[in-house]
Parts: sequence; C-alpha cells; structure tokens
Amino acid sequence: MSAAKVRVFALALLAAASAGRARAQPFPAPVASYQITCRLDAEKKTIEGTEVLTWKNTTSRPAATLQLHLYLNAFRNTLSTFWRESSGEHRDGVLPDSWGSIEIARMTGPDGTDLLAAMRFVAPDDGNPYDRTVAEVILPKPVQPGETISVAMDFVSLLPRVSVRTGYKDDFFMVVQWFPKIGVFEEKGWNCHQFHAATEFFSDFGNYDVSIDVPARYKGKVGATGQRVDERETSAGRVLYRFRQQGVHDFAWTADPSYLVLVDAFREAGLGDVQLSLYLQPEHASQAERYFRAAKASLSGYGRVLGAYPYATLSIVDPPWGAHGAGGMEYPTLITGGTAWSAPKSIQRPEGVTVHEAGHQFFYGLLASNEFEEAWLDEGFNTYMTDRVMNATYGANRVDLGVFGLHIALGIDIHFPVDTNRRYFEVADWDVLASEGWKFRNRRSYGSHIYSKTALTMATLERLLGTPAMDKALRLYAERWRFRHPTTKDFIAAVNDSTGGDWSWFFDRTFFSSGTVDYAVAEAQSKPAKPPRGLFEKDGKLTAGPPPQLAKARGYDSAVTVVRGGDVAMPVDVLLRFEGGRTYRSHWDGEARWKKFRVVSGPRLLEATVDPDEKILLDTDRTNNGARTEPDPRAATRWTARAVFWVQNMIDFMTVAW
Amino acid sequence: MSRRGPRAIGCFLRGLQLSLSKPYLAVALWLIQLMLAAALILPISNTLHALLDKSPAGEKMVANPDYGWWETVRRVHPDVLGNFPELATGLLSSEGIHWSELPGMRGVGATAFSLALLAAVLHAFALGGALGVLREPSSSLVTFGREGMRRMPAFLVFTFASLGAAFAAYEWIYVESGEALRSRVKDLHTEQAALAVTGLRLAALVVALAVIKLLADSVRTVWVARPDLPPVSRFLFGIGGAIARPLRLFGILGLYAILTAGLYVVWLVLDPSAGGEARFALVPLILTQQVFVFVRLLIKIGYYAGISEALTRAPEPEYSYVPGDPPSARAASAPAVANEAPLERT
Repeated sequence: MSAAKVRVFALALLAAASAGRARAQPFPAPVASYQITCRLDAEKKTIEGTEVLTWKNTTSRPAATLQLHLYLNAFRNTLSTFWRESSGEHRDGVLPDSWGSIEIARMTGPDGTDLLAAMRFVAPDDGNPYDRTVAEVILPKPVQPGETISVAMDFVSLLPRVSVRTGYKDDFFMVVQWFPKIGVFEEKGWNCHQFHAATEFFSDFGNYDVSIDVPARYKGKVGATGQRVDERETSAGRVLYRFRQQGVHDFAWTADPSYLVLVDAFREAGLGDVQLSLYLQPEHASQAERYFRAAKASLSGYGRVLGAYPYATLSIVDPPWGAHGAGGMEYPTLITGGTAWSAPKSIQRPEGVTVHEAGHQFFYGLLASNEFEEAWLDEGFNTYMTDRVMNATYGANRVDLGVFGLHIALGIDIHFPVDTNRRYFEVADWDVLASEGWKFRNRRSYGSHIYSKTALTMATLERLLGTPAMDKALRLYAERWRFRHPTTKDFIAAVNDSTGGDWSWFFDRTFFSSGTVDYAVAEAQSKPAKPPRGLFEKDGKLTAGPPPQLAKARGYDSAVTVVRGGDVAMPVDVLLRFEGGRTYRSHWDGEARWKKFRVVSGPRLLEATVDPDEKILLDTDRTNNGARTEPDPRAATRWTARAVFWVQNMIDFMTVAW
Repeated sequence: MSRRGPRAIGCFLRGLQLSLSKPYLAVALWLIQLMLAAALILPISNTLHALLDKSPAGEKMVANPDYGWWETVRRVHPDVLGNFPELATGLLSSEGIHWSELPGMRGVGATAFSLALLAAVLHAFALGGALGVLREPSSSLVTFGREGMRRMPAFLVFTFASLGAAFAAYEWIYVESGEALRSRVKDLHTEQAALAVTGLRLAALVVALAVIKLLADSVRTVWVARPDLPPVSRFLFGIGGAIARPLRLFGILGLYAILTAGLYVVWLVLDPSAGGEARFALVPLILTQQVFVFVRLLIKIGYYAGISEALTRAPEPEYSYVPGDPPSARAASAPAVANEAPLERT
C-alpha cells in the first residue's frame, strides 16, 4: 500500500469516525420526501427509476392539484423555454445537439389510483405550449391542510451530454435535476416555475432515501447527497449504493470510474465535524489540498457568521475536461468545483469556486430562498460572503491571463470585493436587481446584477453598518430562517431589528432600483489669499482700504465642489488634505446634486477626496473621486514610457513575421 | 568530396559582427519604431495626464498598476483603449480572432491597425536599406536611405505578399483548425490533451510563419545580392536559395529567436520598470528601455546579415591538397569580400 493510499485510508477512518459521532441536528419536519430506486444504463445514458413522493400540505388551503418539475425536458428540443431563452448558448458555450428528457411511465395515488391520465403540461411563466418542464396532476380529491399524500411514479430520464449542469461526458455522469420533483405549495397556490436559462431552483425540505444501481466499474466511484449507508455488489454484476439524508431539498449524484476519491475532515470548535469527500480528476491530483483547504475555509468562514453547517458530509466533485457545464454548482451536501490543469495558486482556482459553492450550503441549502424569483438572496449574498472568506483566507487575487489555453498569473492584484465584481459597472442601469430571474435583459445582466450588484450592495451595507453589526444582522437572518424559505423583506426586517434602525431607504435605492451611484470631486483649487479691497467702516465712516488687522492676506483660499453624478444618493464623507498634514473631514448626506466646501485663509489645500474610506462600493467610477490642486505628472509619464516601450516591442514582433 | 557551406551559427555570428560594425542600421530602425510608437501613444499619454496628474490615484499608480483604475478607464473612456484589450486577449486565446473582426476596431486599436500598415511600408524601406548597406564594404546612413528607396517597389511587394501570407496562415492554420476541432477538443479526455492540440496548432502556425519569413527574406537577400539577374530569376533564385539551405536558414532563425527570447527573459527577471517611486528614476528607466530596444535591433540586423551570409557566401571547396595560389591570383583575391557574390555598384 503506497503512502498516499495509507493516508487516504487513515483519513477515511478518521472521517468515518467523526461522521459517526452523534450529530444531534434538529432537522425540520419533512414537507416533500422521496424514496427513489434507480438504475443507470451507462451506454444508453438513461436512468430508470421508481419514486415514492410523500408530500404534506403545510398551507391553510386545500391542494386540488400537484405540480411537478420535469427539469430534464428543458433539453428535449429547441422549442423549450430554456432553449429559446438561451439561444443555444449557456455555461459551456454552444449547446450540443444532445437531447435530454424525462418521461413518467406510471403515476399512482395512495390507493393505487392512476394519476397519469390526469396529468398535463403547463407553462405558468410564459405560456409556451411546447415547454414540458412543469406538469400538473389533477387529484381525485384535494389534499387538505395538514394532510399528507403519497404518489408513486416510474420514470425514465435520458441525460444529455453535459452542457448545463446535468448530463454525461464519456463515462462521467453528473446526475442532477433528474427525477420528478414537486413544486412548492404556498398560500397563493403552486410555486412551480419552468426551467429557465438564467434561473435555478426552489423546493421544500424533506428526507431522501435513494438507491442507485450502477455498473461494476463504478464501484467506489459514486458520490451523492447525504450519507452512504450501503454499498454492495448485486447478482447482476453491478453495484448498488444507498444514500440517505434528512433535512434537504434536492438530491444529486455523480459517478466516474476515473475519480480519485480522497477524504478529509473539517473540525472546528462550535462548528462540528464534517466529512469531506473529494471526487477528483486524476489530472488535477496536485490540487487536492487546494480543494480541501477552500472547503474548510468556507465551512469555517460562513459557519462563524451564519451558524454551523448541520450535515455530516460534504462532497466535492471535480468535473472532467469538456464537462465544465457541470462545474460550479451547488446541491445539498454536494457541490461541483472547477479548476484548470495549469491554474497557478495565485489566481485562486479552484479556491474561489469551492468557497462559493460550499457557501451555498448556507445561502440556498439552509436559507432556501426562491432562486427563481429572488436569486440575489442566494447567489448575491453568497458572492458577498465568498469575497469575505476569500479575502480573509487568501488575500488579493491575481489577474488571470489565458495564453493559448494556459493560465498565467500576471503581477496585478485583484481585490475583493470591488475588482471581482466589476462586471456590474458595465451594465449598472440595465435592470432592477429585485426582478424575477427570467425577466432580466439578458444572462449577462442577470449575472452582473444577481451576483455582483448584490455583493457590492451587501459590502457597502457592511461598511455603513460596521462589520460586527453586519454579522449580527446576518446571524439573526440565518437563525430565523434556517430550514425555511426567507424573502427579501425578511432580510430587511432582520437588518432593521438587529440594528434598531430603519434601513429600508438603503434597499429601496439598491435592491429595488436600477439607479447608479457616482460621486466625484468636480473642482479643487487653492489660491493664495488676497487682502480685502473696497470700502470699510472706520470710526463710523466708510473709508477706502481695510483696517490694519485685515490688511495683510494670510494663507490660502480653497474651494472644493463635490457632485453627485448618479441617480442614487448615499451618505458620503469628504476629506480635504492640507499642507502640513492637516486634514478636514466632513459628512455629507449626498442628497443634493452638489456641495461646495470653502476654506478661507487656511493652509494650502493639497487634495480633496469624496468617500475616502471607500465605503460606497457601488460607485461606478472611482477614478473621479479625488482631485489634487497641483498636478503630479509622474504616474502618467511613467505609464507613457512603459507604453512606448511595449509598443516598440510589439511593432518589432509584428515585423518579425514578415 | 563534399561541399559544405558555412554553418548556421557561423553565419549568425558573422551577421552579429556585421551588425555591430554598422550600428547606425540599428539606430535607423530604432528611430522608425520610436516614431511609430510615439504616434500611437500620444493620445493615450494625453488622456493619462488628464486623468492622473490631478488625481490622488496617481500617487499609487506611479509604481504599480491599479487594476481597478485601468478597468474603470477602459469602461468610462471607451474611445481611448477601444476594444484593443479584447482583441489582444483574443489573439492569445486558443480560439484566436478572425480578421473579419478588425474593421470593428475602435480607439487605439484602430489607430494601431493603421499604423501597422505604415509600419509595413517602413519595414520594406528599412529592409531594402539594411540589406543594401550590408552588401557594401564601406557604407553609411546615406547608403541606407538610397538603397532603401531603390528597393522599395519590389520590397513593398514582398512585404505585403508575406504579410498577406502570414495573415492567411493565421486564419487557415490556427483559427480555422480551432473551429473545426472545437467539439472534438471538448471530447478529449483531459485538458492536457486539449492543450497539446492547441500546441500542435500553434507549432504548425509558427513553422508556417517561419517558412514564409525565410522565403521572403531569402528573396529579398538574393534580390539585393544578384542585381545582374533579371527580376524573375532573382525571385526564383531567392526561393531556390531558401529551399536549398533549409536547415541553415532555420538554424539562423532559431538562434535569432533564442537570443531575442533570452533578452526578454533577462528583462522580465530584472524588471527595471517595477517599483519606481521617485521622479528621478524615470530617466534611467527610459534609457534602460531604449538600450534594450537598441540591443534587440542589433540582434535583428545580425539576423538579416546572417541570412545574407548564408545565401550569398560561396562554400569553400575541399581538395585532397591545397594548391598554392599563383602570385597574380593572390593579388586578385586581396579584397576582404573575396567569398561573396559580385557586389552591385551603382
């Protein structure tokens, strides 16, 4: 046994022991639970399954129908809403002509009643008659409030080649959004959206018990949501796995004979023990420690603010080359990473992806907001926390220059969170952040607002409140809404309650507005003061010339004009720096279009800066936030010299070729 | 009996020697490149001064690049850098860029494209001048100018032909192969295999560009060296010369590339432009930069002289014994250029 294998074995023992320790986790009462038995046909790329869905009506109104997500039908043909919205392009570039589908062959109610005949496809979001991603079943009798219903189904899922999260590539399988899944029944009715190009998912908590039958070559190479409770070879020469997990709202699994399966453990006082399983591609073997370190940093960083991760396991899947569309996704207790063979440590891949996806165990996993309707609550909040954890753990990132497929780190720092979210500034006024996911101008705007604007908004709020107050608000929000479905107003309420103030104005101007913020120093000048001239009172008479005490000019007269260029007002500080090291700081509510500061007969003004502490991270143009009274050409001259030099070299390089 | 010509390293070293003996050639090229660069940079420089001179950000930008500042300038002032950064990034990508994207260039990118055409014209002039000077035992900048202008019509044709061939090679060998293989590359098992495919595409492009360059340089060299032949014969002799001595020519090109790359490695390791805080450091920095450019141009001239050496220097015959020269022949072979082809006298 090699040293590496011994190490893995020891870690496995350690992890199994830690996972075995009692975790008295108060998981929620199940609303939608699933018992699934499925069989993978690796050649046909199909999964045949039998599912027993147990659903409880937790509302105060009866449910006359059930609505089911059939997500894989998004890949059925080019007429689906997903295809129309994506225009045939998504995470991994152009979508391949590789189709996926899910067919329900049998559906019966608790007394064996056939429900399939009463099933029809609906399109609640866009009315697309060709979309098959939501099915509605009319029940023989309504499910009364507090009542539970069991529905049994046989289904066949055909997986597409991986391009959008789910599918296969050669022997690699990422099996997600793969079974008939019930929507969320609310007081206003079913919340069961179609599969859109930009949106993700929303479902109720429950208990999952899933048996997976795979060919023998996948033995030891299957990872899934929850804890593995069984692994045995069957008489058919196959391997049967069984996974169980309480208190989650989805189930995903993966299989790849190429995986290197490594195990480690996260352990921190107050945050519990978590078994970390890494399903790694062999060509990324050298990056195992980077994955583990990032996952631990995430569980620690998020856990300290939001409370401990409650599950015993976390699996990290490293998709193979050509299956990037499966990467960078989150499922309960299972995430997919993303890295590159040549990624140097300083460009923080796979660290950034792992921290983010592991962070989704909190924003999405535990705080299960509606990703269709309020995606900023998971993606945006999570991006904000990712930036915090990355900054605390790794410091500044480096610019990643792609050179013919290789990743090279340039010696230019990228700072969290502003530099990592700059894409927002490109589209700052395109959309209102608080919009349903499929109603953004395009996917670029969706990503820039949902991820980046939210992250910058949250970081700005943190700077206005102070980090302790921000953490307190987040903690309150997390405690109130753990294992539930929070909304934006719930978060605002948590901020108001924890701070004792009313921060609605802030959210009105950020979440609920497409306005932009831009403060600038329009003018800063300082001139030697001149003695006063004109007529002055002396002994009760007007005489020409000032009295002796005013006759001599002293110091400098300085004037600074600060302007608000954007539509959105934020409170800002203005800092004036004078000769001799003296400074003057003033607070401005930022409401007016401009404000003028004058200093008469003072020291010479050197520079003026608006928002000197860089609190307002939503400011779309920080290059105009300061002005000096005297020019300093050093920087421009040096950059000109550099530019001339590199252009000389480029000219030479070009002429070499011919 | 074997007839071996001069070795590649010998030609290259002799070329460097010639280059060093005529430094004004490198000076002429340096001036041309500096003027072109200055024309491109002037609007950028003015913008930089307008944005930085009175900005507190200038303080920290003296020594270090501020990613956020540059990104903001790129976004807020799209007229300055235009889409040049995107094009540069695309050029370095495994997909490459289509030449059809060039008309969409904006800002400095569009200016760079125009200047590249002017650079091609000046390049044709400079090569004519340089190769002419290298053939003259005693020459000067006057010779450079005169020879450059004399060769200009033909050299313009050669330059634009090789320029077009280089563009076509990039499009058809690198970009089109990338498009054709895109889905297959995704189907490969590992990223390393995908990188290898990109590497092969790139290697094929480099070989094609090297062949184009060597053919063009060979034709130019013979064009200058054999004025006694009609134009078509000169052209064909040039092509033939390259085909007859491929290893030697590739060897010279390889040595040139290695030496130049080494120079860049030294530059990047020493990184004299980093960390300069004080105003007085600017002058030494500019001097260092320009010395670097000058040395690189000396090597470049050395390459052309080496190619000229390889193509026009007759191999020395090998005999089982070396007969002594008759006194009259000894006197006739006195000039230093005895082994070279007849010089063109104007």
